[in-house]
Amino acid sequence: MSDRLLRIGAALVALVGIAVAGYLTWAHYADQTVICVAGGGCEKVQSSEYAELLGVPVATLGLLAYVTILALIAWDAPLARLGAASLAFFGLLFSLYLLVVQAFVIEAFCIWCVVNDALVAPALALLTALRLR
Amino acid sequence: MSADKAGSGIPRRTIVIAFAAVVAVAIAVIGAALYLASDDDRSSGNSAAVDLSGIDQNGMFLGDPGAEVLLIEYADIQCPFCAQYSNGVFPVIVDEYIRPGKVRSEYRGLAFLPGPSSERGLRFVLAAGLQNHGWDLQEALFRNQGEEGTAWVTDELVRELASEIDGLDVDKMFEDADSAEVTSQIQEMARQGQADQVPGTPTFFVQIGDGEPYLIQVPLSPDAFRAALDDALQG
Repeated sequence: MSDRLLRIGAALVALVGIAVAGYLTWAHYADQTVICVAGGGCEKVQSSEYAELLGVPVATLGLLAYVTILALIAWDAPLARLGAASLAFFGLLFSLYLLVVQAFVIEAFCIWCVVNDALVAPALALLTALRLR
Repeated sequence: MSADKAGSGIPRRTIVIAFAAVVAVAIAVIGAALYLASDDDRSSGNSAAVDLSGIDQNGMFLGDPGAEVLLIEYADIQCPFCAQYSNGVFPVIVDEYIRPGKVRSEYRGLAFLPGPSSERGLRFVLAAGLQNHGWDLQEALFRNQGEEGTAWVTDELVRELASEIDGLDVDKMFEDADSAEVTSQIQEMARQGQADQVPGTPTFFVQIGDGEPYLIQVPLSPDAFRAALDDALQG
């Protein structure tokens, strides 16, 4: 795959990440104002103590990371590539942690979190890492 | 291309160091996140989401007896949406309507969900209500709600939560939980629920003055409740 395609792919995946993390950030703050889908795990996951880190929703941290990665992809200097790949790799590790927490600690899955943790974060980590070859 | 440089022009050694640093930072952040989350667990029994101190409690009524509007809540201590109301909406109702004396609230407990915790929890809440602390205990139980259908309302949990409530005689509450008085209150609340055709929990009624209570069906959001209560206060 050409570097141009990898770059476009990474930017698109980062945009999907921004959409998902943006939605989850909105849902986190709107948790006071909307009823989560009945029987779904999102309420349980979003309201758990694992949904925040030092008072900041993890979805918001994810949103910041995706925006930063997208900016680094746009910048595209060698250092920016390394920064994007490093941040995406960190996101991958943190997503794995969140998946484990959902599966074994909270014992509930939030579908948007799973989309992010199992699809978007790994895809972005892979695409940005491939650009370091 | 040099053997120790990737195609991107970045030395491979730099890439390896960067990724190793990321792993180290990730381990530190995840460790901190796990520690902070477990710390939340330990302190959750002590930090009320809402401060009820100084607000008049009489049995399962909360607020000024002279308030113009009464908000009646039918709830089951095991119901997740009741906990959502208690944790997310109730604090706003307390601060904006109950503490200023505009609205009074009545808790009518139902015990219809499967498992022993609904009735066990309700017995303790009503027993605390006999000492005018029922609202404090129901708030604490909702904040520490366990999985539906399990026996999460344990004596240990209740004792821990109740011991945080100022002015509550915990031993007396445990005695009263199995009393005929509490059983009679449970039966009366179930009868009221049937008479009001309560379809599930939480269900809310609003009563203006001595008028007939009417059902409000609104999302569990502060804004929706503000609108319903403001409407009632305007008569």
